[in-house]
Amino acid sequence: MIQHYPALVVILPLCGAALSLALTKIHLHLGRNVIFLSMALSFYMSIMQLRNVVINGPMEYRFGGYAIPYSIEFRIDTVNGLVVAMVALMGLITAFYCISGEIRSEKLKVGGAYAVVALFVAGMLGNASSADAFNMYVFLEITALAAYCLIALGGNRGMVAAFRYMLVGTIAGTFYLLGVGILYSATGTLNMQDMSIIIQQGGKDEAVLVALCLMIAGLGIKSALFPFHGWQPSAHTHEERGSAALIAGVMVKIPVYMLFRFVYCVFGTNFKYMQQILIVLGIFVGIGMMYGSIRAIGQTNMKKLLAYSSITQTSYFMLGIVIGSPVALAGSLLHFIGDAFIKGGLFYCAGAIKYKFGTVNIDNFGRIYKKMPVTSALIVAGALSMIGIPPTVGFFSKWYIAMGAIQTGKYIFVILLIISSLLNAIYFFKIIEKIFMSKDKGLEDVRPVKKGELPWSMLVPMSVCIVVIFLLGFLNVKIINMVLPLLKGVGM
Amino acid sequence: MMRKVIGIIVIIVGLGYVFMSFDFLPVIGDSTAPAHTHVSDYYIENALRDTHSPNLVTAVLADYRGFDTLLETTVMFSAGVCAVMILGSKSHIRNRFLVPKKILKGKPEPGVSAYKTVNKDVMVTLIAIMILLYAIYVLLHGEVGPGGGFQAGALMALSYIVSMMIAPDTRPLFSLSKANAAALAGIGVFIYAFTGLLTVFNGGMFLEYGRLPFPVSNEYLHTIGIMLIEVGVTIGVMATIITILKAIIERVRFDDDRD
Amino acid sequence: MMTGIEQFLADKGIYYLTFLLLSFGVYGIIACKNYMKKLICMNIMQVAAIVFFLSLGQKKGATIPVLIEGLTNADSYINPLTHALMLTAIVVSLGTTGVGLALLTRIREKFGSVEEDDIIRRQNKL
Repeated sequence: MIQHYPALVVILPLCGAALSLALTKIHLHLGRNVIFLSMALSFYMSIMQLRNVVINGPMEYRFGGYAIPYSIEFRIDTVNGLVVAMVALMGLITAFYCISGEIRSEKLKVGGAYAVVALFVAGMLGNASSADAFNMYVFLEITALAAYCLIALGGNRGMVAAFRYMLVGTIAGTFYLLGVGILYSATGTLNMQDMSIIIQQGGKDEAVLVALCLMIAGLGIKSALFPFHGWQPSAHTHEERGSAALIAGVMVKIPVYMLFRFVYCVFGTNFKYMQQILIVLGIFVGIGMMYGSIRAIGQTNMKKLLAYSSITQTSYFMLGIVIGSPVALAGSLLHFIGDAFIKGGLFYCAGAIKYKFGTVNIDNFGRIYKKMPVTSALIVAGALSMIGIPPTVGFFSKWYIAMGAIQTGKYIFVILLIISSLLNAIYFFKIIEKIFMSKDKGLEDVRPVKKGELPWSMLVPMSVCIVVIFLLGFLNVKIINMVLPLLKGVGM
Repeated sequence: MMRKVIGIIVIIVGLGYVFMSFDFLPVIGDSTAPAHTHVSDYYIENALRDTHSPNLVTAVLADYRGFDTLLETTVMFSAGVCAVMILGSKSHIRNRFLVPKKILKGKPEPGVSAYKTVNKDVMVTLIAIMILLYAIYVLLHGEVGPGGGFQAGALMALSYIVSMMIAPDTRPLFSLSKANAAALAGIGVFIYAFTGLLTVFNGGMFLEYGRLPFPVSNEYLHTIGIMLIEVGVTIGVMATIITILKAIIERVRFDDDRD
Repeated sequence: MMTGIEQFLADKGIYYLTFLLLSFGVYGIIACKNYMKKLICMNIMQVAAIVFFLSLGQKKGATIPVLIEGLTNADSYINPLTHALMLTAIVVSLGTTGVGLALLTRIREKFGSVEEDDIIRRQNKL
């Protein structure tokens, strides 16, 4: 049965989403519970398949049973095995977190909301496991459609933000599709491994260059890379409270992973214009790291602050791709996985404070730690990790990226990384100072009836985030050793 | 102003494409281009043997790349669910779009003289049913000729739309509320996914129709498999279009509506 | 006998038209102030991508990809793969348009207009 896990990981949440609305008609929470069950199974399978990949090497899954370039293929190796496990865990705990935001009066809304979340997760899982260029496009669009909906549910401003994101996101999707088309016209195949073999034979540099430019534009927009980030702050500020962690923490990372696949696994390091492309990307990344941090310092809305901080984080993952040495790529991957829980966790906190006190303005956070100990602990853990203080995961990932930069002699990036981290420190210490030291603003509990800090459905995901942030920090050597053999084959 | 400048820059970049000679793209119609010689040739030469479907597009869509089509149906379904979720809240009657009263005079019924014309009557009683029949033909015939699940679903939705447009107050051929339609779309997707799961439980790969647990020969198994998923696609597409239509039409105010 | 320009247009002409269509779509999304027009421009842009793929799938002297008895040569049928892919892309574009229309309906209800300037003005008042 284990050979079917790569497909089932994606298909189970999909089936859950498809059945959710019909089951909700039978009982209000039946659809929801089926989705939880499918997501939990999906997470279990992702862990099992990761274990299998580490022991027995990459797994491939051929849909329809035809030979490789003719059918769609899922290919799981250590890198995307980790990504799949991360997405599955984040999806599961976020679905849990959404319980607190349920509108119990309407059956349609309860079933529909969980269906959208499950579709969103299934889209990202598929994107991470697929090895077919066009298949990735379809998954990208499923993710995008669900994201438009989740952003639009955040209220009137969310609606406008979602519409603007939809226009930009469709441009991005079309650019990616055109890139795939050009690659197809040059190679005659859509399977990425087959494509890579044909491209390595040479003579396709112009087509690959044009396709790569279109893909950088498309995937850059989707991941809010620096010059393409225009849609991101307003969308992240106004999106729906429960799923904000998924949108900000996971969705914007998947395109970066796809770009890594295309640049290193398909086009390869022998590609003629590689250096020029990396220089352009390097400029984007360098400016992005500074820009995101500087804009974040001035913000008082916690969600907006985190949104600008996301631009910096996206630049960090891209930094690994720009440096290109195996160690830097591994560090980038570690940061990639860690940041999902850091950024996701911080968005959980913003949502929790909004849930309890109805505000996300950090000037009002005075001495909030007395009322919300778990939330404050997560904010502190996330902030320390974001700045890069051991033993959190953020320190180790930045350490490996910097080490890769030193090994390849790109010292400028080390300097930029340190400056950017210091800038991160400024605004995160500002939040910590407000929480622990500032004067109590006497915030009123908007839900005074309920006892305790928060409902347990919110506390569990937040505790998971705290645990994972430290666990990944302690396990960093293991993870790096796990992915290094593969990255040594593709890196520079 | 800024917007115009950006727009003009974009258009110049677009014209830049024009002045490039597109050396990296093949000549149109050249049958020796890489796009036509690798995977595509295999499909043309082996489709009949592998999938027993003479329509190559159906063979690629439903069999070789059947997983893409599952996702295609999922895209439709998610669009339907998103539309329902976005338009879910009750809107205040003052905010709705206004539609003039003259479109909907009285409460006409087919065959009643309120119609004043025989055309609408014919439309509802005859054409809607003909479209439905044609949809079923397209669905069943999709494997050997042009057609298939998506077109059939769109046609079925069209027959629903026709009867709703001509006589909005009468009962259409089949009535579906917004919530039921969305649930039905989900069931369509599930039929598709379940076909795949059947093959998995029977020891094959996902959507490997040769492994469906039915006691018939391999040739018919492919036909049955393609038919099953086409039915799923049809239901999904039809229900989604009706869902989106209903969700939007609920927000429209006719001026004889009351609060 | 085709002259140079005719030959050129027959060989590559459609690529220029599709990329022109694509630029018009992108220009419209950036420059139009009306959200409905933006949505239409988005559709124009997606059509450009679809036409691009379909033109990649053409072969000179080939017929539609439905097998005819006695004709087994691969050069006799146009490429079925791009057509199958574009069916999926069309559905994606349909889904996006549906969600876009739903969003516009709500925006129109809330802000009373689909003009960008009006919406921004109303948003600042909220």
